[in-house]
Amino acid sequence: MKRKAAAKGKGKPKGKPAGDSLIPFAQVQALVDLLEERGLEEFEMERAGVRIRIRRRGSLPAAPVFESYLPGAANSGPAPAAESRSAEAQAETAAEMGLLAEDVHVVKSPIVGTFYALPQPDALPFVKLGDAVEVGQVLCIIEAMKLMNEIEADVAGQVVRIYVENAQPVEYGEPLFAIRPGKKK
Amino acid sequence: MFNKILIANRGEIALRVINACKELGAKTVAVYSEADRHTLPVRFADQAVCIGPPRAADSYLNIPRLISAAEITGADAIHPGYGFLAESASFAEVCEASGITFIGPGAGLIRLMGEKDRARREMAAAGLPVLPGSDGVVRTEEEAKAAAARIGYPVMVKAVAGGGGRGMRVVGSEAELPALLAAAQHEAGQTFGCADVYVEKFIARPRHIEFQVLGDKHGNLTHLGERDCSIQRRHQKLLEESPSPAVSEEVRQEMGQKVVAALRALGYNNAGTIEFLLDDEGNFFFIEMNTRIQVEHPVTEMVTGLDLVKKQILLAAGARLEMLVRPNLKLRGHALECRIVAEDPETFKPSAGRITTFNIPGGTGVRVDTAAHAEAVIPPYYDSLVAKLITQGKDRREAMARMARALEMFVIEGIHTSIPVHRQILADPDFLAGRYDTHFLDRFLRNHIPV
Repeated sequence: MKRKAAAKGKGKPKGKPAGDSLIPFAQVQALVDLLEERGLEEFEMERAGVRIRIRRRGSLPAAPVFESYLPGAANSGPAPAAESRSAEAQAETAAEMGLLAEDVHVVKSPIVGTFYALPQPDALPFVKLGDAVEVGQVLCIIEAMKLMNEIEADVAGQVVRIYVENAQPVEYGEPLFAIRPGKKK
Repeated sequence: MFNKILIANRGEIALRVINACKELGAKTVAVYSEADRHTLPVRFADQAVCIGPPRAADSYLNIPRLISAAEITGADAIHPGYGFLAESASFAEVCEASGITFIGPGAGLIRLMGEKDRARREMAAAGLPVLPGSDGVVRTEEEAKAAAARIGYPVMVKAVAGGGGRGMRVVGSEAELPALLAAAQHEAGQTFGCADVYVEKFIARPRHIEFQVLGDKHGNLTHLGERDCSIQRRHQKLLEESPSPAVSEEVRQEMGQKVVAALRALGYNNAGTIEFLLDDEGNFFFIEMNTRIQVEHPVTEMVTGLDLVKKQILLAAGARLEMLVRPNLKLRGHALECRIVAEDPETFKPSAGRITTFNIPGGTGVRVDTAAHAEAVIPPYYDSLVAKLITQGKDRREAMARMARALEMFVIEGIHTSIPVHRQILADPDFLAGRYDTHFLDRFLRNHIPV
């Protein structure tokens, strides 16, 4: 879900050049290279606070269009100062791209609701990072309209990433877990 | 007042509701399907929640997901817009059961008006004229003659199972009745496998006239004049205006009083629209009531100076009508609305796709309600409305001149739109003279060389 901070404080105006610390230049360069390499026309990625779109225009593949903005920043208004991306978040992005390249399976939320990692407040979580899971194993609960919906793994493998925090609201299609598929032991 | 309002809709009406919320100081939550991720309501709302895949049944029509979205964002009211769940009594009920205010008249009134036969009976009992007809099926010549004599010729003999003009005959006099009744019964039996017919008053040149009402939760209700929506194709309105060139001040007063009296008796509240057929002689007949904001509400806003969506929100929050609408409100000038739809102007086939050029006309007296823009995609999953072009003038002539020039300046490329048809209607002598009825567009399209 997209939560937008109220536009206040000293934010960066929209449309600053790519090198301006929102996303490291090298990362953009890597994406451009990927586009070239795979012969893709357009690439779009949205993550908390940042959206990148790179598109090839006609016969000018060397000059991709680059856009980045913080959602919630109105056309002319200042961008929200809160939730500006930290170095840690950027590192995460790189890690995630690494994972994507490895072809992990992402379990997404099939409904809108509240994510619970634990069956009960004082219990252990259903799964932890690094756990091996089987098809049909319960990964979490999503509460919608007072109903507890168990979300099961649809592949067997190892949990390599948990995208959401306990008790966090999630929207339809929001990534919950990344599972690196592996043979059942 | 509400702290946070979730808008259970998409496109221009979602944006329209966001405008009203922002002006009232309420926070907004947009919900969207995966097809609408990059749309303006998502961008301009304070929060946005993806509720499902593109198919409306799994997103905009999915009650549990909408309620969940309201719960996780802490919204205390839901505005349903029009279409989708706007007239779903069960959605209104679930909202109420979940402690969320449904911005509308409430489940009971929605359900009543949704049952068309019951609504007709109740409204007739409350003093509104309904189209006279036989009391159910007529089986014999004698029964049909008696019913027709009571109703008055001309009458229409109609198949109970009817549709598409089959099993229907217009009868001008008693002498014609036996042969035409037999023909209608035969055709009904052949076409629908049921020969049952009934008799109803026939209106040769009906106009579609509707009254806008606003009511509060304390028993107060008023009307805001009428809209003429006779320019329609297969019951899809294409152009609306207020006031109607066919309604005199005297008739407006009379109808307005009847509408207000009938709806007060029912305890109607919030915004609503009551639809009538108007015949050549100034007689009105109730058809149905819509218990929501309508697509064409801006024409009423232009002639009353009221923001109807804001009024809806305030009324749902319990405001008193006298604080929102001054008594003896007079209509000012004239307003027109063209519904610009993404359709091929020749074949009326939907034309989804990416908009490449989008130039919105402006200037005095011109308003455009839209969520479209250059590079926006009109997805194939939802209705084809792209924009509503509204013009206002001191009189009908000025509003029409503005509409004609605004249509000329409205440039949409990349998809087909109905703009060429609207331009031709605005150049038609009968339309310019205000001489039109619900059959106008069918005749017009037959007589015009494809654009």
